[in-house]
Amino acid sequence: MATLYTVLTDFTQWLMDLIAAILDWTKLGILSDLGDWLQSAPVVDFVTTLLVAVIYLITVMMFALCFIWQERKFLGRFMDRRGTQVGVLGFFQNFADGIKVVLKEHIVPKDSDHALFEMAIFTYLASTFMLFGCIPFSDNFYVIDVNLAVLLGIAIFAFGPFSILVGGWASNNKYTLIGGMRAAAQLIALEIPLLLCVVSVVVLTGDLSFVGIVAWQEENIWLIFPLCIGALTFFIAAIGESERIPFDLPEAEAELVEGWATEYGDIRWGLQMASDYFRAYILCALFTMLFLGGWAGPEFIWAEAWFLAKTFIVFFFFIWVRAATVRIRTDQILKLGWRRLLPLAVINLLIAVALKVAEVF
Amino acid sequence: MRIEERTYTKADHLRPTGYVLKSLIVTFKGLVRATKNRPCTVLYPWERLVYPDNYRGRPGIVLERCIGCARCARDCPNRCIEMVEVELPAGGKAKRPQVNVGRCMMCGNCAETCPVNAMIVTPEFELCSYSRADLIFDPVKLQYPHKPGYEVNYEFALLSEMKKGGEVRTYAKNDPNVHDNVVLDAPKCISCSRCAKTCPAGAIEMAETGELNPKTKKPIKRPKFDTTKCVVCEQCIEVCPKSALSIKEVL
Repeated sequence: MATLYTVLTDFTQWLMDLIAAILDWTKLGILSDLGDWLQSAPVVDFVTTLLVAVIYLITVMMFALCFIWQERKFLGRFMDRRGTQVGVLGFFQNFADGIKVVLKEHIVPKDSDHALFEMAIFTYLASTFMLFGCIPFSDNFYVIDVNLAVLLGIAIFAFGPFSILVGGWASNNKYTLIGGMRAAAQLIALEIPLLLCVVSVVVLTGDLSFVGIVAWQEENIWLIFPLCIGALTFFIAAIGESERIPFDLPEAEAELVEGWATEYGDIRWGLQMASDYFRAYILCALFTMLFLGGWAGPEFIWAEAWFLAKTFIVFFFFIWVRAATVRIRTDQILKLGWRRLLPLAVINLLIAVALKVAEVF
Repeated sequence: MRIEERTYTKADHLRPTGYVLKSLIVTFKGLVRATKNRPCTVLYPWERLVYPDNYRGRPGIVLERCIGCARCARDCPNRCIEMVEVELPAGGKAKRPQVNVGRCMMCGNCAETCPVNAMIVTPEFELCSYSRADLIFDPVKLQYPHKPGYEVNYEFALLSEMKKGGEVRTYAKNDPNVHDNVVLDAPKCISCSRCAKTCPAGAIEMAETGELNPKTKKPIKRPKFDTTKCVVCEQCIEVCPKSALSIKEVL
């Protein structure tokens, strides 16, 4: 099966040949040389990579927007109401919101640290968009497939609390500062159990690339069955990592206006808000790939469709938890993270090591 | 009490089973119910609830019945009713209520107080307009076709019956036993007969008392009130130049 790369390499090759032919037609020596340079392998490779990245970013963002729509509709039904109604089944509400935030004015607080204020939101968004690149849709549709993809993804993910703390501090506002502090404390407390669950998967599969992990699960068994404790821990930690109810303390709107993002306006705020859902999408995708066999499934539909279907089902559980629970206190989150989830993750790691040592799979 | 010392007596309080699982089950039931049937919300402009029979929307008027007693204007808590002159179909001019619906709180007091049930409550509640002037309903615009049930009846317990239990009963609007009466302080009266001229219900008749004015040797006339016709609009009291009339309340 042709991967996204091979298809786009052929296309880029054809495009560059066309441009080179047009340049050659001018009979100018310099332009002919430029045409030859455009046809060379590094240039074609570079343009292909750009095209892949753009196509992939747009695709992922559209599906992440579907997450917002899914949340609005399901949450509506959970609360015995209809949810959004704009457009076909309320799908255009996201676009209406997006257009609205784009039209807003960019305001920087007078006493804020301007450079850090602008930088923090950009690092936050950039880390989110970089994470998109780490998540493959299938073994044909991906941006990068490095051997250490899991490690790379987690490393980029850990960049989030840093930019949140900096952004909260740079806004020079007590609400943003408290929100940033809470976000840092909570994300660090929940990141360690999350990482230990990932480690247990890596121990069992012996592979650090998502494609390898999914291939292992396709051959043997979906990891949610042997590592059910780990799956549960990962799920709870993932809800906390994406700052969703019941762990949405960083932007507890009843106490801290909008949490660490209070002072951000315009498209920066819009993307920050969307970024919560992008990160939720990434965590659902991680859960799917680590525990639910990724794109593995009967082949009557595409592998990508299997992957997305599983991701949407995982996100349904995210919404369900959000509809059912209320926000808990900071100390309860930290207690949960360090006293409950961490031991569970360690137990899960021990199970994984035991399975590996006993050579069950 | 410090947080660490707090004890939870019931399992539901903060245990994972009570805090998470139970609420998960409850919300899932709600999801299934709302998906299988329909959510309890109503898509308002396209769907409407059936309003109850005694719904009190904006006030309406049946102009043929109105006698122009201005009791509605007097009793309106928001002072949104004003009496304006309109031309009657029979010829001549008379005062009829004009309602500023923008200020109306739709209490239906005007309809309850109307002695001839000309003021009614209508089921109309969609009154948006682009200017405030459009919200002032003159008597012609205020008209609404009458249906039984639109009028508001007297339903109350008399204060005098409170000791016996105070049963709430429906009274006729012209029942002289429940509405107040106008009484005359005879020595003050100068027989100007303004009250009889101003009475919208025609309840006042200038009757001869049998006495003669010692100066002019003409018979002295005093107003006589027909309590079944009287609507207690108090216009005679306002118009009396010597304050000879007053209200005697029925308890």
